[in-house]
Parts: sequence; C-alpha cells; structure tokens
Amino acid sequence: MCRYELKKVFLKTGGKIALLLLLFLVGVTCYFATNIFYVDGKGDKKYGPVAVRELRAMQKEWAGFLEEEKIRQVITENRRIRHSKEALSDETRENEIAYSWGQGISEIRNLLNYSYASHFREYDYYRADSLSETDAGDFYANRVSLLKAWLDEEAKDTFSDKEKAYLMDQYHRIQTPFYYNYMKGWTQLFAFSPTIIMISMLILGYLVAGIFSNEFVWKSDSVFFSSVYGRNKAVTSKIKAGFCITTMVYWGSVILYSGFILLYLGADGMNCPVQADISGWKCFYNITIWQKYLLVIAGGYMGCLFISFLSMLVSAKTKSTVLAVMVPFVLIFIPSFLANMNSVFVNKILSLLPDQLLQMEAALNYFSLFTIAGRVIGAVPILLVVYAALTVAIGPVIYWGYSRKQIS
Amino acid sequence: MELKLSNLTKEFKDVAAVDHISYTMTTGVYGLLGVNGAGKTTLMRMLCTLIKPSSGCITWNGKDIFELDGEYRRLLGYLPQDFGYYPDFTVYDYLMYVASIKGLRPATAKQRTARLLKQVGMDKEKKKKMKKLSGGMKRRVGIAQAMLNNPSILILDEPTAGLDPNERIRFRNLIGELAQERLVLLSTHIVSDVAYIAKEILLMKEGKICVAGSLKELLAPMQGQVWSLDVSKEDAETYRKNYKVANVRIIPKGVNLRILSGQRPSENARPESVLLEDVFLHYLGEGMVEEDVSI
Repeated sequence: MCRYELKKVFLKTGGKIALLLLLFLVGVTCYFATNIFYVDGKGDKKYGPVAVRELRAMQKEWAGFLEEEKIRQVITENRRIRHSKEALSDETRENEIAYSWGQGISEIRNLLNYSYASHFREYDYYRADSLSETDAGDFYANRVSLLKAWLDEEAKDTFSDKEKAYLMDQYHRIQTPFYYNYMKGWTQLFAFSPTIIMISMLILGYLVAGIFSNEFVWKSDSVFFSSVYGRNKAVTSKIKAGFCITTMVYWGSVILYSGFILLYLGADGMNCPVQADISGWKCFYNITIWQKYLLVIAGGYMGCLFISFLSMLVSAKTKSTVLAVMVPFVLIFIPSFLANMNSVFVNKILSLLPDQLLQMEAALNYFSLFTIAGRVIGAVPILLVVYAALTVAIGPVIYWGYSRKQIS
Repeated sequence: MELKLSNLTKEFKDVAAVDHISYTMTTGVYGLLGVNGAGKTTLMRMLCTLIKPSSGCITWNGKDIFELDGEYRRLLGYLPQDFGYYPDFTVYDYLMYVASIKGLRPATAKQRTARLLKQVGMDKEKKKKMKKLSGGMKRRVGIAQAMLNNPSILILDEPTAGLDPNERIRFRNLIGELAQERLVLLSTHIVSDVAYIAKEILLMKEGKICVAGSLKELLAPMQGQVWSLDVSKEDAETYRKNYKVANVRIIPKGVNLRILSGQRPSENARPESVLLEDVFLHYLGEGMVEEDVSI
C-alpha cells in the first residue's frame, strides 16, 4: 500500500518537477558553497580545484594545537605581513600579494580578532594587527573574561544567575588549547546548510501536502473509505509514505550536498572543536566539528519530519492541499518577521520554534537558555527532544482524524 | 444475507436528505429510482459507511454495519456517482492499489485484476493512464474496482451517467451478469437502466421511498390508466395542462400524446400498456429523462 502512496506522489508531473527542482537547487547551492578562491604569489585570484589544493596546503602548515607559542607565531607572522611594503603599498596588486602570504593564518587571525576584542560582541577585522607577542598568553583567558564582562554588564538582565554560572562553567570547561586544522570543507558546508535544508523542506512540503487531501481533490475518497482498510491500514500507509518521502528526499539532498562539498573541499578538521573556527568561537556547546555536523543534519531531519507531519495533519483535517503547502512557508518565514522585536521573552520563544531545527548552525550559536527542574539547558537539546515527541504525537492525531472522516 | 434499513434518517442542517426509511434487501438487483436530489446518493453513502445516519440504523445479517466496520466493508463493492481515480496511475496500477486497500493478497489481486479487466473489456488498455481514458472506459474500470473483492453487496451509484446508449446497454448486461449470488443496489434517474434487470424497484422522492416492489407489482395498479391520443397542436396544450403527459410525439396530423389518467381523457383515446416510466411520472411527478428516448 505504501508503495502505491509513493507512486501517487512521484508519478504526478508536479512531483517529478519538484524533485528535478530540488536537484537543480542542490547543484546551485553546491556551486556557491565550493566557489572559494586563492590568491597566488603574483596577486592573481584562482578558483576551482587548484585554489582548494593551494589554500588547503597553506592552512595545513598551521595545523596543530593553538598553544601560546603558536599564537605568538601567528601574531609575528601577521605583523610581518601587515608591515611589509606590499601590504602598505597603494597598489592593489601589491596588496593582493601581501594577502596571499596571510592565507595560511587567516582563520587563526580571525580568532585573534574575537579573542582580543574590547567587547564580547565586537568584531574588529584589524584588531589582530595591533597585537604584540606578549599578548599571546591571554588568548584563551580573554574568551572567558569577555563573556564575564558581557554577562555582568550588557546582558545582566538577560540571564538568571544560574544561567550566567552555567555559561561561565561551559566556557571554563572547554579543553584548551584548541586543535586547529584546515576546515574549509566544513565551514562552507555549515554556511550553506540552512539553505539546503530549507529548500528541501519547502519541496517536501509540496510533496507531502497532497497525501491526504488529494483523495478528496481527485474524488477517490469514496472508494478509499469504503474499502476494508480505508479507515485503518490504508491511513497508516499514508503516514508511512509521508515519513518515507521526508526521509528519502531529506537524506538524499543532504548526502548529495555534504558528499559533494566534502569531496571537493576536503573533510579535514572534523575533530577540531567548533570554537577553533570563527563561526563557533563564542559557542557554549563544547562539541567538535563532526558533532556539530551530526547535530545540524539530525536537527534538519527532525525539523523536516515535524513540519512534514504538520503539513499532513493540515492536509488531513482541512482536505486542502493549498493550506497544507503553506505550513512550511509560515513556519519558516513568520519567525524571521518576529525576530525584529527586541524582547527577551519573544527571543526565547523564537529560539524554540521549529525553524531553528532547520538552521541548527545558527541555533548552536544563540545564547538561548532555559531552566528546567532547576537545571540550565541550552535550546538545542530541547528542540530535538520536544519536536521528536511532537512528531511522534502528530502521527496518531492524523490517523484518528482521517480514519473517521465523513464524506460530505 | 440480509441488509436491513430501520427508520434510517440523515439530516443536513434542517433538511432531511433521507427521511425515516425502512426497507430490507436480500440477494438480487434493487433499482433505486428518483430525480436528482431525491436522497439516493446520501442513502448509498450511508450503506457504504461513508456517512453516519442522524438516526435509525443499518444492519447486515442483524449486526450494525458501523459496528461491523472493516468486516462489513470487506463484503462491499462501491462505484460512486463521482467516480474519482488517481490520474497518473495506469489502469492496472489503479486496480492493484484498490485491491491492496480491499485486503487482497498480491497473488489473488493479480488474478482478479486480470480476470476483471477481461470481463469489462479493458485488458488491452491496462497500461493506459487513468486520465487518458474515455468516460465509458473509466466507468468500466469503476465497476472492475467495485468487483475486485468479489463483494456480497454491490452498490452502484448512477453507473450509467454520461455513457452513450451502446455503453449503457453493455453496462446493464454486465451488471446483470454480476448480480448472481449477491445484493446489487443500483441507483439511477434513468428508468430503463433498471426496468429489465431489477428484482425490486424503489422509487425515492424527497428522502422517502414512496413506492417499492417488482416491476410487475409497480405496473399493475397503473393498468388502464395510460392512454394514447392524437390531437391538433392547439389542443395539445390544453391536454398538457389538465393531464400528466408522459410523452409528446409530433405526427403528420398534429401531436400524439401519452397521457396518464384514471378516466379516458377523450373518446378517441386508445388504451396503452403501462411502462415503468409511466409509474415514475405518476409517483415522482416528473417525466422520464431524455436518455430514455434513445433506448
């Protein structure tokens, strides 16, 4: 039965077009994600596999634990480059040549900009240029002290004392020195992961929206419900079909996307802590890049499953495919409008909406905390548990409602 | 084998689509006649457990069909008036899918599908997509899907609607073949569809069964009440106002009228044998539908 439910979806012209569109959009996203450049010693920009190879080789020279000595070396190297005649020249090409020398340390240099900032939320691209070798020892201590200062001043009313203590504890607990490696594959993968997951979700929304309502649209409901399994097993097979479509389409696009990016840009750096990359420097979840990847794809899957099931519920309840198709749009785009409201309460609510699962990369960086039964917990584990439970709960609601449908 | 309707009522807001119907059916073909909106489809939907009655009950061999649930639906074959299908399925896939939701094992489903495709003359079209079929072909697939589970109760709601005369005759013969050893309830507003094959005919009007019985039983009270009369075109209008006129036919000298009347309407009126459409007109107050003329 489930096989025929899948056929109903994928034999439709719209279903075929949706899959082709998804494939096309995955391709486009892969193109943009892998479109990185490298500047050679003559100041010329290079793209494609050559750029990846050269950049990887340069950054790998700096791979290893970011100990005080290594930070010192980066500060020295950065100063050497910044004070070179090429960097100080008015000629763009000369500047490009100076830039080419710094590509090996560029990612560590970004970390310096954060670590030695004057405020927790500041990012000054030129901050690293003003450092001296004697500053190297403060690299990790700064990370903690900036957080403390922020919690004591700017964010003093945002968090409870318990939450502040939790954040400080998480910052203290992280193992230092960080291990650094070339990780362009992962950073690019994470940067475009919300795009790929949201595209998959919108396509999925279209595919699953008609599973229940199309019986009424096609007027096949009478034969369906008057059959022996029309009010039990056949309904279950529709839910199974929705689950299978979500699983196949989501994992298909995510594996295709991840596989291409990591094969092209390399999977080096998977064991580095997320804090060893500029996008995760402030993250209070002490996890590795690989663990972050697992969270991003698991969160995306959970989010897609939940939204697909919600679409199916709307489809089953209202008999309207149009309303069901709108569910992902509403859940993805409405929170972005509400995000402009500068309210701690609203922000807490927003951090628990299902769209967060689709952009786990960003959710991991939000300082969104909740105190449950006296224990402080981040939004990410709550999101995963709550939406897994809700998805499981929606299944029986769909079954119960649809199997009792009356034909008007 | 007994399907019993007891005081069956279905109300939509304040309107009773089916109004306190009680009737018992066993094996054979039952023709349900009525004008559009008489409540035929609502009654059939209740018999197929698609809608629940507002009051009253339907029992199959003494048990409520809604309590029997799947056990009852296992015995049921239904061809709805608006026969919907999955447009991108082939005929074969469609029938195999319906077989699966009717609980047939794959091997049995394949056998039955192949046999029914031959029986309804669709075996050469089995790889065609449903959306590419003509109206008649779709109806034939419709009857095939209804027969897949070899049902004890076969409910056909307006199965000949939209078919050309040849298709309708073919369809009627097919239903006659299928009617052995099962209960067939055939709803139509086309009188001739049931006149030849129905064991009993039920005339439905405004949610009620106004008369029921075999063709002979329905025709008997009307004997001597049907007349044929040739009149001028001018006089025809007067007769139409004063009598129920079943048919008007232009003849060289004027008009031939088929009149229903307990009294001879004119000295020149000739008695005619009673037809089912005369009974239809008598009870339901409307003339036969256009399609009948061609049969």
